[in-house]
Amino acid sequence: MVPAPAGALTMDVVEHENNRMVLSMGPQHPSTHGVLQVITEIEGEVVTRAEPEIGYLHTGIEKSAENLFWTQASTVIERMDYLSPLSNALCYILGVEKLLGVTELIPERAQQVRVLLCELSRIASHCVWLGTGGIDLGAISSFFYAFDMRERILDLNELAGGARMHPNYLRIGGLRDDLPAGFLERLDALIAMYRPRMTELRALLQKNPILQDRMIDIGIISADDAIAWGVTGPSLRAAGVAYDVRRAFPYSGYENYDFNVVTRTEGDAYARFLVRLDEMDESMRIIEQVRKNLVGGPIMADDTKFTPPPKETIAVSMEALIHHFKYVSESFRVPPGDVYTAVEGPRGELGYYIVSNGDNRPWRVRTRPASLYNLQILKKIAVGELIADMVVMIGSLDPVFGEVDR
Amino acid sequence: MPSSQTPPAGSTALDPTAIRPAIDDARIIRTSPAALRDELIALRGAGYAMLSDVGGVDYLAREPRFDVVYHLLKLELNGARAHRVRVLCGVPGVEPVVPTVSDLWPSADWAEREVYDLFGISFSGHPDLRRIQMPAEWEGHPLRKDYPLRGPARERTPRPSFALKSNVAAGTPAAGKTAAALQRQIAAARGQATVGSAAADELAAEPNAARGAQLPKDGSK
Repeated sequence: MVPAPAGALTMDVVEHENNRMVLSMGPQHPSTHGVLQVITEIEGEVVTRAEPEIGYLHTGIEKSAENLFWTQASTVIERMDYLSPLSNALCYILGVEKLLGVTELIPERAQQVRVLLCELSRIASHCVWLGTGGIDLGAISSFFYAFDMRERILDLNELAGGARMHPNYLRIGGLRDDLPAGFLERLDALIAMYRPRMTELRALLQKNPILQDRMIDIGIISADDAIAWGVTGPSLRAAGVAYDVRRAFPYSGYENYDFNVVTRTEGDAYARFLVRLDEMDESMRIIEQVRKNLVGGPIMADDTKFTPPPKETIAVSMEALIHHFKYVSESFRVPPGDVYTAVEGPRGELGYYIVSNGDNRPWRVRTRPASLYNLQILKKIAVGELIADMVVMIGSLDPVFGEVDR
Repeated sequence: MPSSQTPPAGSTALDPTAIRPAIDDARIIRTSPAALRDELIALRGAGYAMLSDVGGVDYLAREPRFDVVYHLLKLELNGARAHRVRVLCGVPGVEPVVPTVSDLWPSADWAEREVYDLFGISFSGHPDLRRIQMPAEWEGHPLRKDYPLRGPARERTPRPSFALKSNVAAGTPAAGKTAAALQRQIAAARGQATVGSAAADELAAEPNAARGAQLPKDGSK
């Protein structure tokens, strides 16, 4: 066992000078949005030091991925950020496609549907943040409004991929299947209900004086601090830095869509709240553009080196049957090399550093977890704030512990 | 069973990053632990203000064995395009030590702790270098390639199915159990009478189930 260095904040510290005490918040605490323990040193009600302890949800996903085929690994990778599984899967798949050198082969329709589903999962993820964040501050009713909308998005996931949370619908080379009948009608219904619902949610929350009192000037992150601490996503943009992976390093055709990178300058919890709300509207704008311009055509790249044969050919073609058997039982090989890909997940820059040694399994899949870096700055911003505001700050950073701990 | 990726003994040095095809994702810089800090300080001066990520890779048969991988990001400010650079720092397998950069970028703090935790690479000068994901008393570094997938302790024993905790505690291997047998075992452990003579016969032929019945109730239910 490695002892904590002298001066580190642990629960073993029971006495302090100056009437300070050490208080453990979590790991089982309803406001920590998962299993997070924050060891805080407080003087009265003011936090003087805070040390988040993570790792309670560590499941070794990166190790598991090294022992699975390239195709299988995306199933476990989807389970990292469980609020937006499609962003994880997309980022990993884009990396594998880059290693294979087939990025140009992905059909237009597959790219559009990928963008569509990833933007939907961004809205779904922000709905969870909005609902649970509201509960943290005593606004119970917003939870039902937000989760109702999220359920409808999960219904679309289920329709497309067969599962609500982890559909494993995106595949290396394209999509598993085409969108099923009835999908677009339900998508239209969702688009129609989105704006009235957001108007209601904003009316409930945005100008609410209780929420404003709790959030304004709480947990201020300056632009310099955000960059130094590796904060990305809405938390970085709320500090005034207009960095969005979709804009800076476009992927999957994001350069073709018209959307704004929402920024604020205040950098406090309320600014992060507003940035996320506006971001949901921008996501919906992208979804509407995809819906309007959705093209037909294939949904899988036309290269049998890394795609399975069409299911209907297996019963009639011996070659297709053999190909299918080989694809499932030993997957395909990926040329040696390493690549870093990043996408703009709901929480910020989600990246994968993938190394292949030419085998049919990845040699290494390293995640760049946005939540981990965003959460880390809690150490800094919590100091000097009230212990009650810790809840607001954790909520405004929107960590997902499946991703922090992996 | 060793990890399915353990290369055979005596295999040649492996470094897929050395023979990679051209992928335009980042500029790549190779360096050594001694030159690392100067390299990163120079890059920071050149506008790479954000340290996006610190990760590790274990190449096992290669010398140096490990790579510590730094991803730096130059943000899109003042009209300049965003840029990435990847710094690969080769680290020997024996006493792997890299100087910390957590004083230059606070974002490196947890990331370096994670590399230390999962690869056993030390970061000299890190203010709080202890395990972050694994429990503090854990032995070994799970992301090393010579660390078995299921962990060293479980590699030595046959794989138990989803058995009763009490059986696992008693060391009873439960591999190969059918769901029906497991149901009976659970019923037996709870002290319930099994119904039907056929079931009773099977139970008698099932030594694990009988042992399960005798085990003390340890609150595992």
